[in-house]
Amino acid sequence: MKLIKKNGYNVCFGIIVIILGVMPLLLQADMIKSTTVLYLAKCMCFAMVAIGLDLIWGYTGILSLGHGLYFALGAYGMGMYLKLQATGGKITDFMQVGGLTELPAVWKMFRYLPNTLIFMLLIPGALAGILGYFIFKSRVKGVYFSIISQALTWAAYSLFIALSPYTNGNVGITEIKSLFGSIKGPKNQGNLITLFYVTLVMLILIYALSRFLVTRKFGKLLIAIRDGENRTYFSGYCVSRYKNVVYVLSAVYAALAGALFVNLNGSVTPTQMTISTSVTMVIWVAIGGRGTLIGAVIGAFLVNLCEYNLSSGSLVEIWQYIIGALFVIVILFFKGGIVGIVTDQIPALIRRKRRKSGREEA
Amino acid sequence: MRSKGILKRIMCAALAGVMAFSMTACGGSGSGDSSEPIKVGLLHSLTGSMAISEVSVRDAEVLAINEINEAGGVLGRQIEYVEEDGASDPSTFATKAEKLIVDDEVATVFGCWTSSSRKAVKSVFEDYENLLWYPVQYEGMEDSSNIMYMGAAPNQQIVPAIEYLIDQGYKKFFLLGSDYVFPRTANMIINAQCKAAGVEVVGEEYADMEQTDFSSIISKIEAAKPDVIINTLNGTGNVSFFKQLAEKNYTSDDLMTMSFSIAEEEVATIGADILKGHMVSWNYYMTTDTERNKEFVEAYQKAYGKDRVTSDPAEAAYDAVYMWAAACEKAESTDVEDILEVVDGLSIEAPEGTITVNGENHHISKPVRIGQVSEDGKINEIYATEKPVEPDPYLTTYDWAVEAGVQPLE
Repeated sequence: MKLIKKNGYNVCFGIIVIILGVMPLLLQADMIKSTTVLYLAKCMCFAMVAIGLDLIWGYTGILSLGHGLYFALGAYGMGMYLKLQATGGKITDFMQVGGLTELPAVWKMFRYLPNTLIFMLLIPGALAGILGYFIFKSRVKGVYFSIISQALTWAAYSLFIALSPYTNGNVGITEIKSLFGSIKGPKNQGNLITLFYVTLVMLILIYALSRFLVTRKFGKLLIAIRDGENRTYFSGYCVSRYKNVVYVLSAVYAALAGALFVNLNGSVTPTQMTISTSVTMVIWVAIGGRGTLIGAVIGAFLVNLCEYNLSSGSLVEIWQYIIGALFVIVILFFKGGIVGIVTDQIPALIRRKRRKSGREEA
Repeated sequence: MRSKGILKRIMCAALAGVMAFSMTACGGSGSGDSSEPIKVGLLHSLTGSMAISEVSVRDAEVLAINEINEAGGVLGRQIEYVEEDGASDPSTFATKAEKLIVDDEVATVFGCWTSSSRKAVKSVFEDYENLLWYPVQYEGMEDSSNIMYMGAAPNQQIVPAIEYLIDQGYKKFFLLGSDYVFPRTANMIINAQCKAAGVEVVGEEYADMEQTDFSSIISKIEAAKPDVIINTLNGTGNVSFFKQLAEKNYTSDDLMTMSFSIAEEEVATIGADILKGHMVSWNYYMTTDTERNKEFVEAYQKAYGKDRVTSDPAEAAYDAVYMWAAACEKAESTDVEDILEVVDGLSIEAPEGTITVNGENHHISKPVRIGQVSEDGKINEIYATEKPVEPDPYLTTYDWAVEAGVQPLE
C-alpha cells in the first residue's frame, strides 16, 4: 500500500502500459479497428517526445520550441533507409527531377540498417550537442533560448524545402513501408502488432531511463538549475554541462520517436519541422502537467486522441476551437495541468470540505 | 497524505476510463445492405493554410452528392458522406485516409489538393485497394490504379499552353515558380519543350512558398527581358508577385504572363484590375459556354451564395462525384474492383464538356482552354482545343519529351 502511495506516477504509467499492451489482443479479437492500434502507436511516439520535453522544460526550466527539428531529423534518417529499401538502393524519382544522376552521399549513409540506426540518433544528438555547447556556455537562457530554438527549426524547414533534389521538398519521403514490411490491411496485422510492441517497449525504456535519472542526483540538480541557476553555479556545478546533457538527451528521444513514427506513418514531410508542430509538442506537456514525466505521457495521449476523434464528422470545421478553448482553460486555471488537478487541486478541495464538515460536527 | 494516494489511484482509473472511451469511440458499422446508404469519404483540409482553397472543392462535392441524392441516389441508394479534416498536414491526411477506409468503411474517397497530401495517401489507397478521386491539375509522372486523376495532366494544361504561346510568336520565356514539386516538374517539361521548338528560356527562378518580397526576382526578370513569364507560383506568392509587378507599372501589355495556378478565386483575391489581360490555362472557366455549366454555376451559387465563383478544381471535384456515380451504375456495384473494371471509356457530360476516363492511366480526357482575365474579373476563353485531349501523364507520345528523358526511372 505504501509502495503504491509513494509511486503513484509509476503506477499510473504501469496502468497506461497495461491498457496499451492489451490493445493488440483486442484487435485480434476484432473488438477494435487496426486504425486505433496504429494511432495509439503514433501517440506513443508523441509521448516519447513529450517525456524529453518534460525533462528539459519541466525539470530544467529550459523552454525549447524547436524539438520538431530533432523529431524530423530522426524521421528523415529512418525514412531515407526505408525509401532505399523500396527502390533497392537506386536513386529516387525526385532526385532525377532535381538533376541528380547518382545517389547523394547523405543518402548513402542510410543505405544499411546498422548505419541508419546509428546515424539517425547520432546526427540529431550531435547537432543538439554542438548547438547546446555554444548556447549554454554563453549562458543564453529563458526566452532567448526559446527564440533560438524556434529559429533553428524554421531554418531547417526552409533548408529541407530548398534542397528538394535531396529531400523532395515539401512532399518529403513517401511511399515507404515499415521496417517489418507493410502494416496496412488484415493480412499485415502481424507486422502492425510487432511494430506496436516495439514502440511500446521503447516508450517504457525511455520512461524508465528518465524516471531513473530524475530520481537520482542528476534529477535534483536539474530542478536546482530550474529553481536557482546562480546558486547551483556557486555550489560548484557546471550548469552548462548539465543543461547540454539534458538537451542532447531530449533531442535523441525526439529522434527515436521520429524514427518510429515514420514506420507507422508511411511518410515524412517537412511539416514536422514547422514551428506549430514544435509548439504543439510543448502544449502536450503543459496540458498533462510539467515536471512529472507521467503528465507528459498523459498530455500527449489525451490531446492527440481528442484531435483524432474530434476532427471529423459534424465538428470537422470547429474542432480546433474546442481544443483551443481546452488549452486556454487548463493553462489559465490549472497550472499543474491534468496531473496538477489530481494531485493538488482535488485534495485541496477535499481538505476544505473536510474542515468544513468537521466544524459543523463540532 | 492518505487521501493523496487514494486520489492518485482514482485518477488512474479515471484516465484509464477516458482513454478506453476515446479508443472505442471510433467504431464503424458494416455496409452492403441494399437499402442502407452508401458511405463515401470527403478528405480535405478544412483548417490550416490550405483550407481557403479546399473548402470550395469540398462544397462542390457536397453539392454533387446532394443533387444525386435528390435524383434518387446511386443504385437506388442514397449517398452519405463522412468528412475528415486533413488539417493541411500530409501526415494527418494519411492517418485520416486510413480512418475513413478502415473505420468508416467508405466505398470511395473524394479528396486532397496538394501533391504532398496526394503522395502521402497514395500508398494507403493502394494497400487497402480503395479509390481516391483527386480533383486538381498536377505535375503528372504518376498513375496509380487506386487514384482517379480528375484534373489535368501536364499535357492537358502546360504543354498546350506553351504550344499556344509559341504559335502566337512568343520567343523568350521566363520560368517563375514556387519551390515545390509541381513547378519544378512543370519547368523541367517546359525546358524540354522549348528546346525542341527552338525557343529560348531566358531565366528560371523559384520563390519560397511563403515569400512575399519579389523585388529581386522582378529585377532579374527586367534584366532578362522575356516576352512572356510562365508562372507556376502558388498561393500567396501570386498575390505579392502581381501586386509588386503592378506597383512598377507593368501591365499585361508590357509583360505578358501565362499562369497555371490562377483560377477565378485567385483573380478575386489579387484583383481584376491588376490581372487584366494576363493569360491562364485550364480546362474549365466559370464562363465556359455549355448547358451543363449554366446549371452547375446556378446550383453552386444558389447553395453557397451569389458571390461565390466556380473554378476548375471545384468543377473537377463536382465531376468526380458524377463520374463515380456513373461508374457504380455501370458496374451495378460500389466495389472498387468492379468500378475499376468498367471505368475505361466511361464518359459523362460535364460543365467543361464531354469527359472520358482513360482506363489505362486513370486520367480523364478533357478539353484544354486558354483564358484571358477580363476587367470584370471573369476569365474568357481565347483558345480551345477542338477535341478533348487524351491524358498522357508520362508524356510518352511527345518525341521531344522522350528525347529529353523527362520520364521517371524504372
